Amino acid sequence: MHIPDGYLSPSTCAVAAGAMTPVWLSAGRRVRKVVTNRYAPLTALAAAYCFCVMMFNVPVPDGTTAHAVGAVLVAVLLGPWAAVIAVSVALAIQALFFGDGGVLAYGANAVNMAFVMPFVGYGVYLAIARHAPLTSRRRAVAAGIGGYVGLNAAALAAAFEFGIQPLLFHTADGTPLYAPFHLSQTIPAMALAHLTVAGGVEFALTMGVVTYLQRANVPLLRINHPTTAVHATTETPRSRPRWRSAVLVFGMGALLTPLGLLAHGSAFGEAAPGGLDLHQNHLQAVPDGLARYAGFWHHALFHGYDFSHDAHPAVGYIVSALVGMAVIAGVAFAVVSLISRVRSAAR
Amino acid sequence: MTTPAWLIEPETRMGPCACCGRRAKGDFVEKTIAGAGRVLRATMFSADLASEDGFLQRTDARVKVGSAVVLLLVVAFTRHVSVLVGLYAATVLAASASQVPARLLVRRVWLFVPLFTGVVAFPAALSVITPGHIVVPMGTWFGTPFGFTAQGLTAAGLIVMRAATSISVVVLLTITTPWPRLLAALRALRVPRAFVLVLGLAYRYLFHLLTSITDMYEARKARAPRDHDLVRGRAFVAATAGATFGKAHALSEEVYLAMVARGYRGQATAIDRGPLGAVDILVFVAVVAVTLVAIGVDHVVVH
Amino acid sequence: MSWSTDVFVVDDVDFLYLDRFVALAGVSLTIRTGERVALLGANGCGKSTMLKLLAGLIVPDRGTVNAFGTELTEPALDDDQFARAFRARVGFVFQSSDAQLFSPTVRDEVSFGPLHLGFDRSEVERRVDDVLELLGIAELADRAPYQLSGGEKKRVAIASVLVTSPDVLLFDEPTAGLDPRTQDWFCDLVVELHRAGKTIVCATHDLAALDQLADRCVVFSEEHRIVAAGSPAEILADLPLLEATNLVHLHAHRHHDRVHTHKHDLDHYETECDHR
Repeated sequence: MHIPDGYLSPSTCAVAAGAMTPVWLSAGRRVRKVVTNRYAPLTALAAAYCFCVMMFNVPVPDGTTAHAVGAVLVAVLLGPWAAVIAVSVALAIQALFFGDGGVLAYGANAVNMAFVMPFVGYGVYLAIARHAPLTSRRRAVAAGIGGYVGLNAAALAAAFEFGIQPLLFHTADGTPLYAPFHLSQTIPAMALAHLTVAGGVEFALTMGVVTYLQRANVPLLRINHPTTAVHATTETPRSRPRWRSAVLVFGMGALLTPLGLLAHGSAFGEAAPGGLDLHQNHLQAVPDGLARYAGFWHHALFHGYDFSHDAHPAVGYIVSALVGMAVIAGVAFAVVSLISRVRSAAR
Repeated sequence: MTTPAWLIEPETRMGPCACCGRRAKGDFVEKTIAGAGRVLRATMFSADLASEDGFLQRTDARVKVGSAVVLLLVVAFTRHVSVLVGLYAATVLAASASQVPARLLVRRVWLFVPLFTGVVAFPAALSVITPGHIVVPMGTWFGTPFGFTAQGLTAAGLIVMRAATSISVVVLLTITTPWPRLLAALRALRVPRAFVLVLGLAYRYLFHLLTSITDMYEARKARAPRDHDLVRGRAFVAATAGATFGKAHALSEEVYLAMVARGYRGQATAIDRGPLGAVDILVFVAVVAVTLVAIGVDHVVVH
Repeated sequence: MSWSTDVFVVDDVDFLYLDRFVALAGVSLTIRTGERVALLGANGCGKSTMLKLLAGLIVPDRGTVNAFGTELTEPALDDDQFARAFRARVGFVFQSSDAQLFSPTVRDEVSFGPLHLGFDRSEVERRVDDVLELLGIAELADRAPYQLSGGEKKRVAIASVLVTSPDVLLFDEPTAGLDPRTQDWFCDLVVELHRAGKTIVCATHDLAALDQLADRCVVFSEEHRIVAAGSPAEILADLPLLEATNLVHLHAHRHHDRVHTHKHDLDHYETECDHR
């Protein structure tokens, strides 16, 4: 999914580079604390390793390639911030020596593979692995799944960056100035390639190396897991609810809701009577009861998930999603605390 | 230990003719590794061209890096294919003035660009992707006329030329600058020390890593020449990944210790970083001139 | 600058790899200025680990290592000033030349050390030329190290270490894999360096060249301890010791009706022939 130069407008590249700069600065600072000079060769090895992994790629019809990255493996071994550096370095070598990935587009590539992927993948890994012992199979599988999810998140981000180009950057007569494929084309293309081939490779690779290290080099695993038990013990600590990972997962879900806009038409059974295709349903007019009750509730806050009269439908979706989730979470929390209060009173 | 019997007794093997059975081509993965190893070594680790006495080689690395960034920006903002072609020609000219064989530059650039960009450019010129004025009709598609559009062809041309010119600029930079000087130039341009440190080490490890991966595949090939079993293949990938990591880790420790033993603490120093000379100023002026001409022509030309 | 005549004092050190494989168990050692010491032992007995401890590349899990009167700890080695001084004074030549040669050209390789230790650039250039001349590799200056032969690589590795004019030279299996002529050359070099007052420590299992490489031998057993010390002549004469530490084996073959025994060391050089 390396984006070459010429596919993204300079403004897109600038925005991506700007978004990445605080991440790089942060990584540079944090890495000094966690990964000192002693682990510098390991980070560099991770970079070289990611480079080799990224070499094996298959072209995808929207102009890029599908391949595994290895970013989540580095995150598992050295933490996500070290992964930012390792993958950024691998991307730099590829951009400089092979033209695989542009120099101006470096920021965008880094956002996808050196930021989105390690963090999303690491989050998934932590959520699945929980307190499992360091040498357990659960951890290895968790790492594999983290890799799979992280890779696809990165592919989605890249598809998004490609897909908005013809929308935003074209000449008066409609000639796309940069990447010519629309979101509705780039997302399925990237998703197909990465959900199947590339994702599978990433899963196998991440899980494979972790499994190998569990047998051959546990101290290496311990660098990033100093307090985790190495082997299974009889008592495992009671896991407390992981609020942060839940918020992260739901937050990402909210961000993805506008994807529905891409689909033509609407979900079955959801259209208001105005959207009913009378002819298709062999009707002459809107049925009586439907017409009477259709406009019953007039107090919708975000009618049609929209709050700016369809001017920015995507924003409307996201805001609606966030508000909806906040309301549901609030209600759920209230119900749960009420129940537990009743229970403790009854004891 | 006594020698096992199966080692001493003769075993029936293939006859001298080796003509029973099909000659299967090596699998894709193997070919990629072997090929990539060769390309990598040729591309990155041969400093031959960087030590020739061409005019770009004599230019300070910092000036070259800065010029490359400026030129890439020019390419990104240009809207006409003709201007891009002109810029590309300028890079070829600069290459020949620096003893870089034009054939080598062309091969390094176009070997990658058609592979990725070509897959894009072709369908992008079709009316289903890029609607507009059809100049090469190809019949109808579900009732609507179908073919290559003018807008599509222009878009395809833009993308291919942008990619080609950008890659050409970058390849020129790396081919004429020895790696340690490139790193020092990055450091001078304020790239954080952690990155330069890891970049320098990663570059060195790549060579060893590729060698060990190639060796492992050679060894496997020598033991099981035509094993296409998918399950075993996947298990091999997983095991190889792990083992490669382990071996490379051991070697990387040795390399790092060797560097530390000679005083390395993360700095990127190179032998000369003196003041800018006449050649540097000349290059700078040339780049500015090219930039202005390109922007001017781009704005003036109207299609 | 320490006025003591002890360059290295190692006191009861342990070292484990990957937290479970013992490399050294309760080892103590002292090396005096100007000595030529050989660390003898079979593969895997801890000689290389010992050298790395002396070079300050690793720190022991237990016990202390003192160099030039200062204890080598991680904080001490992280300190810029101390590290610079220490690294310039101690040169380490690795067993694997491939790990040691990582620069694009031989000239870059040899100048790596002094450049990073803060030497003046014109001084660096002068020294690099001198040392390439000394080791007979001046014509290889612009070649890539990985393209050279084994013997040439070894010379480049030694050049890159000699260029800072260290007081101590640590060699890990220096003659392994070298052709006979280069081996001879190396032994002559050690004699020269010794005459110039340098302290030399070699980890080796090459018994043939021992009297040129060392004044004193320290023998490691396969249990990762020191079991004997003495002059080369004393050690070589002690056959039971050599057999027990896997430094020689008794090789027997028949000549018609006679049994012919040789002592063979690990490289299968005949150390003594016993015709009967």
